[in-house]
Amino acid sequence: MKRHFWQKFKQDFPQEFAILRIGALPGLAAILLVAIARATGSLQFLEWGALDAFMRLRPAEPRDERIVLVGIEETDIERIGRYPVPDGTIADLLQKLQTYRPAVIGLDLSRELPVEPGHAELKAALAQMENTIGAERVLPQQGSPAGLPSDRVGFSDFPLDADLHVRRSLLGMPDLRKSGDYKFSLAMQLARVYLAKTENLTLENGIRDPNAMRFGRTEFPRFLSHSGGYVGTDAGGVQMLVSFRQGTEPFRMLSLRDIETGNFDPDWLRDRIILIGVTAPIYKGKIQTKAMAGLNPPSISGIEFQAHVASQILSAVLDDRALLKTWSEGWEYLWIVGWGCVGIGLGRLSNSLFKNGLGIIIFGVAAIGIGYGSFLGGWWLPVVPPVLALGFANISYTAFSEYDKVLRSRLQERQKTIDRTFNVIHNGPLQTLANVLRHLRDRDWSHEKFLAELENLNYELRAVGERLEQEMLDFEDALFLGSGKKLDLKVPIHELFYEVYRSTLERDLPGFQTLKVKAIDFEPMVPPSLGIEQKRELCRFLEEALCNVGKHAKGATRLSVTGTQTDGWYLLRITDNGPGLKSFTEGRGTKQSKHLKVQLRGKFKREALSPRGTVCELTWPVARSWVYKLS
Amino acid sequence: MESAMENQEIAGLEKPKILVVDDHAVVLGGTIDLLKQKYPEADILTAQTGRETLDAVARSQPDLVVMDLSIPEVEGVTARIDTGLQVLRTLMEKYPHLNLMVQSTYVRSLVRIRPEIDSHTGGFTVTDKGLSGQEMLTRVDWALQGVTHTKDIKGVQAGLEVKPEWLTLLTLAFGEGLQDKAIAQRMRVSERTVRHYWTKVQDALEIYPEEGKNIRIQTEMRAREEGLID
Repeated sequence: MKRHFWQKFKQDFPQEFAILRIGALPGLAAILLVAIARATGSLQFLEWGALDAFMRLRPAEPRDERIVLVGIEETDIERIGRYPVPDGTIADLLQKLQTYRPAVIGLDLSRELPVEPGHAELKAALAQMENTIGAERVLPQQGSPAGLPSDRVGFSDFPLDADLHVRRSLLGMPDLRKSGDYKFSLAMQLARVYLAKTENLTLENGIRDPNAMRFGRTEFPRFLSHSGGYVGTDAGGVQMLVSFRQGTEPFRMLSLRDIETGNFDPDWLRDRIILIGVTAPIYKGKIQTKAMAGLNPPSISGIEFQAHVASQILSAVLDDRALLKTWSEGWEYLWIVGWGCVGIGLGRLSNSLFKNGLGIIIFGVAAIGIGYGSFLGGWWLPVVPPVLALGFANISYTAFSEYDKVLRSRLQERQKTIDRTFNVIHNGPLQTLANVLRHLRDRDWSHEKFLAELENLNYELRAVGERLEQEMLDFEDALFLGSGKKLDLKVPIHELFYEVYRSTLERDLPGFQTLKVKAIDFEPMVPPSLGIEQKRELCRFLEEALCNVGKHAKGATRLSVTGTQTDGWYLLRITDNGPGLKSFTEGRGTKQSKHLKVQLRGKFKREALSPRGTVCELTWPVARSWVYKLS
Repeated sequence: MESAMENQEIAGLEKPKILVVDDHAVVLGGTIDLLKQKYPEADILTAQTGRETLDAVARSQPDLVVMDLSIPEVEGVTARIDTGLQVLRTLMEKYPHLNLMVQSTYVRSLVRIRPEIDSHTGGFTVTDKGLSGQEMLTRVDWALQGVTHTKDIKGVQAGLEVKPEWLTLLTLAFGEGLQDKAIAQRMRVSERTVRHYWTKVQDALEIYPEEGKNIRIQTEMRAREEGLID
């Protein structure tokens, strides 16, 4: 079986290769187009969308109890009656929170300018509280709040993508104003203090990537300008892809009022990271993200974002939660091209449009599934480009190979028409002409007979055009014999043979005049596995063989024309007892039979009999399965 | 021996069941009158379309079908020779021993089903509608005897058209002098098939039953004349 397959493959390979080359080129072009589209950033939005969708689909995670948010809500501000919230209120809040012994407090409020009353109190409180981190903005640079030392300040800036959604976080960057100094983000500062306090871990440079940040064994994959679906993005500083924590309430949220009224469990705050910030959207803009399920509107507040980043850092270090990694560009493009090739292969293998469509759906779902599975394992693989490559490569392959098929069949049809024209001329007028020539040489015909025959020839030649025209009308299932007889090729071959025999024998050829006995028998072919074209060729062959008898077997008295089937082979045999063939010049007739021999995978024989006569035989295997048994 | 047996067969057919097929009521009536003259005891059935014919044959298994070629397939449809030919084909395929007589003005078109006629083992005779009533009755008689009479549909070609096995039969019978039983054994066919070959060869040689003549001897003479046996 295996050997058969291999032989078949070897046998089919050149043809296979030709088909592949025709369809594969457009297929590869489609893949190239997808790759170019990706490389130029045209697919960025789609890839971001896919990333967001994967995040949303991720199963919900338990709340991260290490981080508590204290939001200054709209009701809080209404109650206080002014905005910004005065420094004194913040100082009171800090004092109160400190009594619950949190690990670290992040104050995400821009306090460049004093907001009286209470600025002095706040300044004093901050100076006194070692575990408080202030926030600043660095892009553009604004002053740090209340003169905190730089190691107690973190920036709250974050990079936005072109669609104004947040997917990355800036962990740290060189100080733009003071060269040599380095600044960390608020989230990173909070995580750093927390990890130093609780786990005694310090922030270090990466091992695999010296520019990356690392806590113990956990190194944070650095975002590069072309990471994942990004193209030509500003990757300044140290950036990281944000892996948002999924869940209805990923962090505990308290309001200013909750703290003031003591509406919370003290355990919620002890040894935790507390993030204070304004959450009232009227006063502080929200950050857009579609990466979280159940958000309406799809946006989060500044402290929520900081909490997500801090939580991502902590859970990666402490819980081994997966960080988002990406493949190098080379692998990504290989991956895309690979799926494109699957598309081409699918087009090659499926023979129906339905199967092809079904295959595309199945493989497209598979590509998305693999992308999602990898995402859950922490790898952001390209998903949209492979699916596009798969689809486009398949469509262009299928379209072009279909087009090529049509073109080819048209060419074949044209070739067939030419062949048919030759056949019609060869089996009709040329035979008559040969006959006339022979008699002209033998000088055994009267003038009138010649005239009659030449008129006949004239008629036959004129009929050629008409016959071809008719043949074009229904050439699929009809055949016109040289005698002018029209055959319906849909009837079984043994009946066709008989018709050909009868019709040809009625022609005025010298070999037929002396015949006394004609032994005729055509057995049906079982199973009748011949196609229309094969039947046409077989009928032509028989017509040709009989014409040869008529022309060459002068004085023959016996003609035997039989079609018999034995052991899976059909044998068509034409025997006469005429003078026999003197020369075996390869005329069109012989070429025709050789062509037929190849087409039917059969054998052809034509030889002289002793003492006189000629036998012409064509055999071919009847059942298709025989072909394989033989090979 | 042989003729005695043939006579026996005829004796059994004194009350034949005959199906007459023609779409013209006048012709139908004329044919029935003729048949009644010769076979007063006969059970005569009629059919006017192809479908009726097939149904009638299936239902009443007649001894002979006398049919026109130009008949409609069903009532109300134009009569076509193709329909008649197709009905004949079907009958010969389903009932290989059924005796048939084609009575038509288009007998020449039977050439198209020549191979089927040659393989048919029942009687098969052909009569042109222009023939005399007496001649027609003779053909009916021959058909009932299982004789094949198709010389009217021979082509214009020279020479006799035969099947290879008929030549074998002649060689065995006249070359080696074998009897039917021995021939059947040698050719690995039934004796009935051998008899069928005889009627076919005789038809090809245009030898038909005649009072007082030995048909086998006539066959041998004609076969030698025509070069069927060396």
